[in-house]
Amino acid sequence: MASPAISVKDLSFSYGDNLAVDGISFDVAEGEVFGFLGPNGAGKSTTVRLLTGQLTPQAGTAELLGMDIVSERKKAQQEMGISYESTNLYEQLNAVENLNLFARLYKVADFDAMALLERVGLSGREKEHVANYSKGMKQRLMMARALVSRPRLLFLDEPTDGLDPVSTQTVHSLIETATREGAAVFLTTHDMVEADKLSDRVAFIHEGRIVALDTPAALKQRFGMRALKVEVGHANGQTELREVALDEAGTAQAVHDLFRDEHVLTVHSEEATLEDIFIDITGRGLQG
Amino acid sequence: MISALVAKDVKLFFRNRFFATVTGLALVLYLAIYFLLPLQTENSVGVAIHLEDPAASPEFRQRLTEDEDFTLFPSKDEMLAALEDTDDYFVGMSVPAAAAQAVARGEATTLQAFYAPDVPAEAKQVFHELLVFIANMVNPDLMARLSPIEETEFVLGHDLLGQPLAVRDRFLPLLLLAMVMTEVLGLGTLIVREIETGTARALLTGPLRLPTFLVAKIVTGLVLAMSQVVIVVLVTGKIVVSPLLLLTTLFLGSLLIVGMAFFIAAISRNNTSVLAWGTLTLILFLIPALSIMLPGLASGWMELVPSHYLADALHRVLNFQAGWADVARDLFLLAAAGPAALVIGGAVLRRRL
Repeated sequence: MASPAISVKDLSFSYGDNLAVDGISFDVAEGEVFGFLGPNGAGKSTTVRLLTGQLTPQAGTAELLGMDIVSERKKAQQEMGISYESTNLYEQLNAVENLNLFARLYKVADFDAMALLERVGLSGREKEHVANYSKGMKQRLMMARALVSRPRLLFLDEPTDGLDPVSTQTVHSLIETATREGAAVFLTTHDMVEADKLSDRVAFIHEGRIVALDTPAALKQRFGMRALKVEVGHANGQTELREVALDEAGTAQAVHDLFRDEHVLTVHSEEATLEDIFIDITGRGLQG
Repeated sequence: MISALVAKDVKLFFRNRFFATVTGLALVLYLAIYFLLPLQTENSVGVAIHLEDPAASPEFRQRLTEDEDFTLFPSKDEMLAALEDTDDYFVGMSVPAAAAQAVARGEATTLQAFYAPDVPAEAKQVFHELLVFIANMVNPDLMARLSPIEETEFVLGHDLLGQPLAVRDRFLPLLLLAMVMTEVLGLGTLIVREIETGTARALLTGPLRLPTFLVAKIVTGLVLAMSQVVIVVLVTGKIVVSPLLLLTTLFLGSLLIVGMAFFIAAISRNNTSVLAWGTLTLILFLIPALSIMLPGLASGWMELVPSHYLADALHRVLNFQAGWADVARDLFLLAAAGPAALVIGGAVLRRRL
């Protein structure tokens, strides 16, 4: 792995008696998309707040690009772009005014708001007040704002939550472009398909602790079970769905027997999703 | 950074239809009221007199007839009607027939004074003294026997006596204070909206530091407050009266108001509570300026309200051409109260950010 863009060691934070983050540790490399997955209340947002300097850790350390988030908070924040879960744009300003404001705060030289709006698919609507935008447009503008300073660290909190497929695709391609340019992306999401598609590695957080951390493929291999879904037909015209587990000792014989004894209509292979794996590990789903 | 934030805040203020409309209308309305109020000063004090027995003291009657401030009425009822229904008289007196003889004999007599409905307590006291004087005039011999008293007056500070003011001039400090105070609501709302919508969080999670954010809000508050009052003093022509002193007074007053806006924003959960707290503060802070319009309202406790020093300084500078030394105490207290309000307001606000 290249030098870590984010390095977290034994990070903890509690709200009173409620331990929200319990000694988590991980590294994120430059150019990597790190998926941080967990249900509501698992500690995702608290972790993001700790890493972005909005909260001060009660134990442990977090370094961003080698800068301590407590003692060098402002320097580290200069290198971040953040897209929040809830929209926090100036609704009475237009898109260009929103972006130009942040470009001035970050002291970005020769900033071209129109080019950035073009990238997020908002050109043509740049003079409208943001209050008139749809949720998808606002979310894309939030992404654009996060990219204003060409950050080396991108924190994206549920960036596609509730978006239509076109907006989702736009956000995905922006993330891919940012990582190609070397940015490290810390992505929290409920959408397992999105996490699987975008993330180089994922971490599952449950009750403040990281319970699994690896590439999606490795997690599936380690925890998931591949299977064949076989649809068989009966003489009375009814159909039945059978499942044959793969990667087991008797798999080959079972498949053979099935094809010999039954009238097989369709065969599909199926592999475990990240959600299946999360349920296997924690005993609960991601939506709760 | 600060200029970018101030430009953004001013844009947001004027894109808020409510505040843009209120600000524009208030400016026009206040100026209209100012120019509609009388410019002339009321110098005369009309006194209505009824003598039950005009023949009892012809000399006294003659004197009253010659003085244009006194009007003799043939009956008590007519005198009372004139007092109550017209604005021409502030006080009236019915002199009983036996009064002159009683006074001449050195006996005590009772005189009844009737006051118009809106006469303040201080004025009543003055009229009381005047009536005693008039009563004594009934017997000039008695007056002559009084030992002559040599009076020497020392006026400490700027002498405000003997300089009657037009109503519009009395109104001006109240107007300026009201305009500055309105910005408590505007600035408070801007800050609370930043907190509520999370834009403050977006700003502060970047390179922007909290002190810079707060300084930008102070500058915004000063720009909003000062710009309107400067327009008013320009349009009314009052800017020519000690411009530097006037602007310094308004600046220090605006600083105080911005501090109050910080405090109100910090304790308010949403725009509705900004409106509630802001209105309460507005009423309290306007009372000292109201007492300039209606001197009968003036009371010692008003000195506990920091806006008293702004109203007082404005009143003296605008209406009595007071100089730096005359309002030094007011300016000093404003210079202390303004930053104190900012520090307390900023500290409370910091907890919410």
